[in-house]
Amino acid sequence: MRFFDLLSLIFYNLGRRKGRVALTAVGVVIGTASVVLLVALASGLQRNATRQFAGIGDLTIINVFPKFEAGPVMEASVNGKIVGGSGQPSTNKILNNQAIEEISALEGVAQVIPRDSLHYPGRLKVGKLENYAYVFAVAVPDTSILGYELAAGSSKLERGTAIIGEAAARNWNDPNWRPGQPQPEAPDILNKQVRFILTRWTQDGTTVEKSVSLRIVGLFKERRGETDYAMVVNMDDLTQWNEWGDGKRINRNKTGYEQLMVKAADTRNVTTLADTITNLGYQASTLQEYVEGINNLYTIIQIVFGGIGAISLLVAAIGIANTMTMAILERTREIGLMKAIGATNRNVMSIFLGEAAGIGLIGGMGGVALAWGLAQVVNVLAAGYLATQAAQMGADSAGQATYIAPWLPVFALVFSTVVGLLSGLYPALRAATMIPVLALKYE
Amino acid sequence: MDQAAFVITQNLRKTFVMGRTRVHALAGVDVTILEKSFTVIMGPSGSGKSTLLYLLGGLDRPTSGTIIVNGQDLNTLDENALAVYRRNTVGFVFQQFNLVSSMTALENVAFPLRFGGVAAGLRSKRAKELLEQVGLAKHMRHRPVEMSGGQQQRVAIARALVNNPALILADEPTGNLDTVTGYSIMQQLAELHAGGRTVVVVTHDPRMLRFATNTMYLLDGQCVSREEYEASSRVPEAG
Repeated sequence: MRFFDLLSLIFYNLGRRKGRVALTAVGVVIGTASVVLLVALASGLQRNATRQFAGIGDLTIINVFPKFEAGPVMEASVNGKIVGGSGQPSTNKILNNQAIEEISALEGVAQVIPRDSLHYPGRLKVGKLENYAYVFAVAVPDTSILGYELAAGSSKLERGTAIIGEAAARNWNDPNWRPGQPQPEAPDILNKQVRFILTRWTQDGTTVEKSVSLRIVGLFKERRGETDYAMVVNMDDLTQWNEWGDGKRINRNKTGYEQLMVKAADTRNVTTLADTITNLGYQASTLQEYVEGINNLYTIIQIVFGGIGAISLLVAAIGIANTMTMAILERTREIGLMKAIGATNRNVMSIFLGEAAGIGLIGGMGGVALAWGLAQVVNVLAAGYLATQAAQMGADSAGQATYIAPWLPVFALVFSTVVGLLSGLYPALRAATMIPVLALKYE
Repeated sequence: MDQAAFVITQNLRKTFVMGRTRVHALAGVDVTILEKSFTVIMGPSGSGKSTLLYLLGGLDRPTSGTIIVNGQDLNTLDENALAVYRRNTVGFVFQQFNLVSSMTALENVAFPLRFGGVAAGLRSKRAKELLEQVGLAKHMRHRPVEMSGGQQQRVAIARALVNNPALILADEPTGNLDTVTGYSIMQQLAELHAGGRTVVVVTHDPRMLRFATNTMYLLDGQCVSREEYEASSRVPEAG
């Protein structure tokens, strides 16, 4: 029997019992719609969670630190010798120029950017107002490579310039402020020259201050990340300030940097690259690891949700099996006839299996369509809530409550068809193995 | 003219088990049906005529004994081969017509060709030719419910011929028809025989005998002579 003939016969037979096929398919429609909608809901949650992480920082960045040896937290003096103490950086793997070269040579690394923080207190001062932003420097002329988005101004860092986070730029205080007085209004510092006051203490406890002039060239967009309350300055400036605080020159080959920011060429390589860097003896962490952890969690949620939806599909499968069993009883003489005129057992089995699979496919198509429609309704209903969430989280735009991945409808159709096929297996087998003469005489 | 044996059965037995009861539908039947003959099998209800016909057609398997059709031992055929045998060698005509109610006459006649992998165009052409041959050219698009019993049986005959089989097996083909229509079906079967086919008809209708080249009588699952058969059907005189 030709495949096309088999197919046309299957659909012809399904067309003969439209009402029953439609009623049976309704079960599959509900089952498939449940699977698709629940998985789409879990996918939507996953995408929203991922988007929020993506908002925090650049997923291609690997933060590399010197590896800290594990050790006791408390220090103690035993016979005049210091024992224990908190973890200390491994001396042979500091983040010096050699480390930068070593990591830069790894495949998939786009750039290695040293980063350091101010070791001494520093505050911005505008009039009476003061701002204690967290200060760090990156050895890169343009901060945009680190994925730091700007709300205003320029991302280029030169000596004597700084870029400040939006939240930090709002966070000013007046040292003379007293309760009951109105909160001071944040000054507009963008493209303005401001004073930055560094503080250190001498060994006898005397406070020494140093005032430098900084031009605020940009504002980092608020993204719930570390740049919100930070001020990023030029690395040379920062090194100079730390040297002033230490009272001696810093030799990077001996002391290294606090941190290296390794930018991977591709998001897909980030985790592998982080593992490679860890194997080199450094400590590496990535936002991608968290995202993957979240993804794994949501994949499990998707499977659980899909499984819950599949229960209704199982009920539908029983409906298909019942319909097919009834059809075989009703068409027993027809089966006998088909065998009498030359149909093989395989032909008969294919016809009935095809009909069962056809019910699954029709139901699956209806289910996908229904799920798509319901997903749109859910998206509309949840749009307001998600927009509020997105605004709170600092995301660019609100996500959707549900997400139907392109593979999902295809999977749902294949799955419902396979469910139909499996449901029809036993009835089809019964039909195929009927003895022709008994089938012909069946009343 | 010498005719070769087309169908040979040897010690053919068929026993049905119904609960604790064993019914011997055929109890050692030896028959030889000649090629291109018109064989009429007669016998009372339960004599085993239909069982014999179905065994010859490969619709059932014997309990024991052999059936050789056109040199082929049916016992040696597996289910697939038996289906191919039914498709290519045998054409069935049933008392109940057994047409698919949702199909038109044309679709019913063409139906067996689907299982032979014949292309749709050829199927339709062949079915049309046969419907014309049985005088139903104007009823091709009619469904069984729109046709008389005689017309339905002629559709069934056309369907039996669609694969051009050498052996036509008819089980009470006139059983559901009135006298006149039944006779026209008999003539139709006689024409098939005249066209060179081997025809075996199971019937109660003695009018069929006038077309027969061979007659076979079955009684309690065994072949008997005409005299024995007639004696069995005679009403005993009240003593």
